[in-house]
Amino acid sequence: MNYTLVYYLTNTVGMIKINNLNFGYSKQKPLFKNMSMQLSNGHIYGLLGKNGAGKSSLLKNLAGLVYAQSGTLEVMGFNPTKRQPALLEQICFIPEEFYLPSVKIDAYVKANAPFYKNFNHGYLFELLKEFDIPANNKLIDMSYGQKKKFIIAFGLATEAKLVIMDEPTNGLDIPSKAQFRKIMASALTDDRCIIISTHQVRDLDNLIDTVIMLDENDVALKASVEEITNKLTFKKVKELDESIIYAEASLSGYNAVMPNYHNEDSKLDMELLFNAILAEKIKFKPLFN
Amino acid sequence: MNNTFNINRFGLLLKRQWLDFGKIYLISLLVVAGVLIGFYSYYIPSIERRTDNFDYDGNLDLRFRYGIFLILGFLFTSTVASGYFSILRQKSRAILELMTPASVTEKLLSGILYTALVSLTGYLIIFYIVDLGFVKYLNSNIDAFRIANPKVPEAQSITYQMFSDKNYREYLEYFFAIPFLITSIFLLGSVYFNKFHYIKTAISVMIFSGIAIYVIYKAGGILTKNMVNISHRSAHNDRDLAFLMILLVTSALTLIFWTIAYIRLKEKEV
Amino acid sequence: MEFRDNKAIYLQIADYVCEHILLGKWKADEKVPSVRELAVEMEVNPNTVMRTYELLQNKNIINNKRGIGFFVDENATEHVKTYRKIQFIDDELPVVFRNIYLLNIGFDELEAKYKTFVKENFNA
Repeated sequence: MNYTLVYYLTNTVGMIKINNLNFGYSKQKPLFKNMSMQLSNGHIYGLLGKNGAGKSSLLKNLAGLVYAQSGTLEVMGFNPTKRQPALLEQICFIPEEFYLPSVKIDAYVKANAPFYKNFNHGYLFELLKEFDIPANNKLIDMSYGQKKKFIIAFGLATEAKLVIMDEPTNGLDIPSKAQFRKIMASALTDDRCIIISTHQVRDLDNLIDTVIMLDENDVALKASVEEITNKLTFKKVKELDESIIYAEASLSGYNAVMPNYHNEDSKLDMELLFNAILAEKIKFKPLFN
Repeated sequence: MNNTFNINRFGLLLKRQWLDFGKIYLISLLVVAGVLIGFYSYYIPSIERRTDNFDYDGNLDLRFRYGIFLILGFLFTSTVASGYFSILRQKSRAILELMTPASVTEKLLSGILYTALVSLTGYLIIFYIVDLGFVKYLNSNIDAFRIANPKVPEAQSITYQMFSDKNYREYLEYFFAIPFLITSIFLLGSVYFNKFHYIKTAISVMIFSGIAIYVIYKAGGILTKNMVNISHRSAHNDRDLAFLMILLVTSALTLIFWTIAYIRLKEKEV
Repeated sequence: MEFRDNKAIYLQIADYVCEHILLGKWKADEKVPSVRELAVEMEVNPNTVMRTYELLQNKNIINNKRGIGFFVDENATEHVKTYRKIQFIDDELPVVFRNIYLLNIGFDELEAKYKTFVKENFNA
C-alpha cells in the first residue's frame, strides 16, 4: 500500500486540505474564491448552503469529478483530479442523482466489489437487512428510495475512508431516514471522514458534529457543534433585546441566537443558525475567526 | 499497487464493463446476423428467382458479399465504438464510471479492447458463419445450377478466397489498420461529443478528410508546378510505397486518435 | 428517543443514562452500552455520546475500564443524585422561584402541596 495512505489512515490529521481553491463553471461566475479549509477523520461534517452556493460542486471537487481553476486540493495526500485507483477505492461518493445498471444485486456486487480490497460482504449483508432490501432483487425494479439505500449500503461496505454524500436523505421515507441515521452513527469510525450535504437539516442535525456553511463564494462558517454552542446560545425568549444577534418569531415568542455570556449549554438549532448567518454574516465573523 | 496499470484490476474492469457493454454488443451482433442472412437470402444465386446466377468467369455469382462485408462491417464497428463511452454523457452514469477504482489507462484500454478487438472479432466470426452456411447450402444444390452451366465450380467461402487466392491476399495486409482507424475515430467521438456523437463524428470525419484531400491536392499541385513527369518504369515500386504509406498513416492516425481519447477521458468533468 | 428543543443533546443523553441508573435498569459495576451502541440507538453522532460519557466520568457516575468499556460506578446512584441536584438547583429552581415570587405563593401553601404530591406519587 502507498506509504502516504497508511500515514493518513492511522493518524488524525487533515485528511482533506484545500488551499486557495478557485473554482467555477465559467470565468464570469466563480463559485469558490480562494477557499481554504481542512477536514480530518473521525467527524461527520454537515455541508450547508443555499441552492447554488456550491455544495455539490465542493463535493465533486473532493471526488476529483471536476477541476478547479487554481489552488490545491489534497485528499489523503493524493490529488483527486488524477483519479488514481488507490484513492478512488478509498472514496465512497453517493451523488444525488445516481445510476444503477439493470442487473441483480449479487451480479452488481460481484462485478464492483473486487475493486475495493477492504470490501466487507458481511457488513453489506447486514446493511441491506437493516434497510429491508431483499438480496436477490433486480436493481432496476426497485424504487428510488430502495436504490438509494442500496448504493449507500454498497458504498459503506467498501470501507472507504472518505464518505461523501450529496443529499442522502432525499427520497427516503420516514422509517428509512431513521435507519439511515442509525447506520451513519455506526459508520463513523476514527479513521473515517464523512461529509454530508443537506438542505433538510432536521433529518441530520444530531448526526453532524461539525458544520460547514458555504455562502458568497467561500466558507462562511466551519465550526464544531461544541464550539458553536460554547460561543452562542439558542433559546426561546419573550422579548427581543440588544444582546440578540438574530431571532425568528414563533408561537410563544422568539427563537433567538445570542452570544453565550452565561455558559449555557443550549441545543444547537441548525436551521436557525443557518438563517442567522445568511442574515447577519458580519456579526458572526468575529465570533468564529 | 500500481496506479497506472495492474493486470488483475484490468481483468476486473473488463468483467465489470461487460455487464454494460456485453448486452448491447450481443444484441447488435444478432441484428448483424439477421441483416446478413436477409441480404444473402435475397442476393444469393437461385434457380427459381434469378436468371443471372453466374459471373463473367462462369462462377456462381457471389460478388454482392464483398460490398455487404465492408458496409455492414463499417456500420457495426463504428456503432459499437460510438456507443462505448457515450454513457459518459449521462451525469449519473459518468460519476459511476469515473469513480470506479481503475486507472484512466485501464479504462481506455478496456474501451479499445472491446471496440476494436472484440467487436471486430465478433463481426468476422458472424460473417464467416453466415457466409459458410450459405456456401454449403449452395454447394449442396450445385447440381441444379449445373443444368444451366455444367462446368460451374463449387462456391468458396469468402474467408477461403482471402487466404487461398494470392490476388486477394497481396495487398490485404496494407489495409490491416483501417478497421482500427474507424473504431478509434468513433471511440474518440463517443468521449469527445456530448450529444449526437455518431453524426457529429461522421460529419467531422468528412470535413477533415475533405480538407486533407484538398490540401494534399493543392500542395501536390504547388510542389510539382512547372515540373515534368518522368517515368522510369518504376511504377510498381511506387505503388508498393503508396500502400506502405497507407498502412503507416492509418496506423499512426489510429494511435493518435486513441491518445486523444485518453486525454479527453482524463479531462472528463461531470 | 425524542429530544427536547432547548437542552444540549449530550446533556439529554446524560439524563437518559442517569435515569436508567436511578431506575435500577443499569446496576452498579455493570457495563453500559458502548459509545457506538448508544449512538446508534439514539441516532446521534458518536462524538456526542463520547462527550456525554466524558461528563459522566467526571461526575464519577461511570468509569472507563481500559480496553473493556464503560461501567456503572459502584456509588453511581449517589453521584447521579448529587449531579442532578446541582442541575436542578442551577437550572430549574430559578424558574420555580420566579413563579413563586410573581404569583405570591406562600411557603405554607407550598409545603402542603409538596406533601400531598409525595403522598400521591410515591406513597411515602
